[in-house]
Amino acid sequence: MANPNINLRDLMILIADPSPYLCMLVHGILRGFGANKVIEVRHSFGVIETLVGQKVDILLCDSRLPPHGGLSLTRAIRRNTENENRTMPILIMTSDTREAAIRNARDVGANMVVAKPLSPAGLYDRLAWVAFNPRQFVDSETYFGPDRRFKIEGYPGGVGRRKGDRVVEVAEEVGPALAQDDIDSLFNAARTGQN
Amino acid sequence: MSEKPGREARTFFVDTRFQRLARRPGGVPRDQAIENAQAKIDAGQPEFEAWLDGQLHELVDIVRQVQAGTADPAWSAAIASHCRQLRDVGTTMGFVLLTFVANNLCEMLESTNGAQCNLELIACHVDALLLARQEQYRKLRPEQLPELTAGLRRVAEFAESTSIAPDDAGTPSGQ
Repeated sequence: MANPNINLRDLMILIADPSPYLCMLVHGILRGFGANKVIEVRHSFGVIETLVGQKVDILLCDSRLPPHGGLSLTRAIRRNTENENRTMPILIMTSDTREAAIRNARDVGANMVVAKPLSPAGLYDRLAWVAFNPRQFVDSETYFGPDRRFKIEGYPGGVGRRKGDRVVEVAEEVGPALAQDDIDSLFNAARTGQN
Repeated sequence: MSEKPGREARTFFVDTRFQRLARRPGGVPRDQAIENAQAKIDAGQPEFEAWLDGQLHELVDIVRQVQAGTADPAWSAAIASHCRQLRDVGTTMGFVLLTFVANNLCEMLESTNGAQCNLELIACHVDALLLARQEQYRKLRPEQLPELTAGLRRVAEFAESTSIAPDDAGTPSGQ
């Protein structure tokens, strides 16, 4: 489905960022998307307090949220078996988009990473992706969160290949090819341990 | 954590309230939603510019206080905090160059890994932020100002290579 519409009305959205201006900005963008229930907090304690007090439908959390960072907070939320918001979608907002940073966010149980500075289109598409691509949850000894295996890297032989996938270069044929009998005898020799 | 050691992983499907309600029909169509959001951003421009001026003013003040030796000991953290805020909203509000300069300064402060950063190098970034705030520069992209951007990158590299360990940083260098 290309660019599906999302309906944010009556969804409780929690924005957690130390910058009051950024909170206000994201709040305004979400209002533009049709959201009517948005809460802002500036630190992890505010998030915990809000989660204890009410049902939150989605959390947009800064990766550097004081005092311990948004990733620690995400891990804590996911691992708290008493918390009814344990499975809510969590989007990490970060200006650090290096691969390692994205992997860290994924490994603590975040659903998605949104790069700062935000763009309305970028935020909308990520919210839509989370809404329309529900993933299984994994509960293991070391991880609780959405299944991290969700990216299809491409298939052999071009089946299901996407435009961005890399083409694997195969060396050009040089010299005469082996006959089938020769190939069979090589395999047979290998199987019987002969050389 | 109440998980038992050695237990096998289990997977289960969760259709959260967010997912159920967000998929309801009747939402704002994507293009309209983005247009509405952009309108909110545009409407907030005067307020943003006032906020931006306040942030820049505070940065200039901190640099002056450090030069005068009257700054709070945590001045470096204060600069980093202002700088991150500018970086995180600049481009959203149409100030692309501002985000670039602020990002360069953030990276420079972070790369020194808690060590005291050369004040002149910070002051040079604050000057560039003041430039990026001006009307004729605000919509320029970094690649349109190659000398400025290359210069700031060199400054950041220099800062990283010459950072002073925190124990030796009783007074800011460059004074």
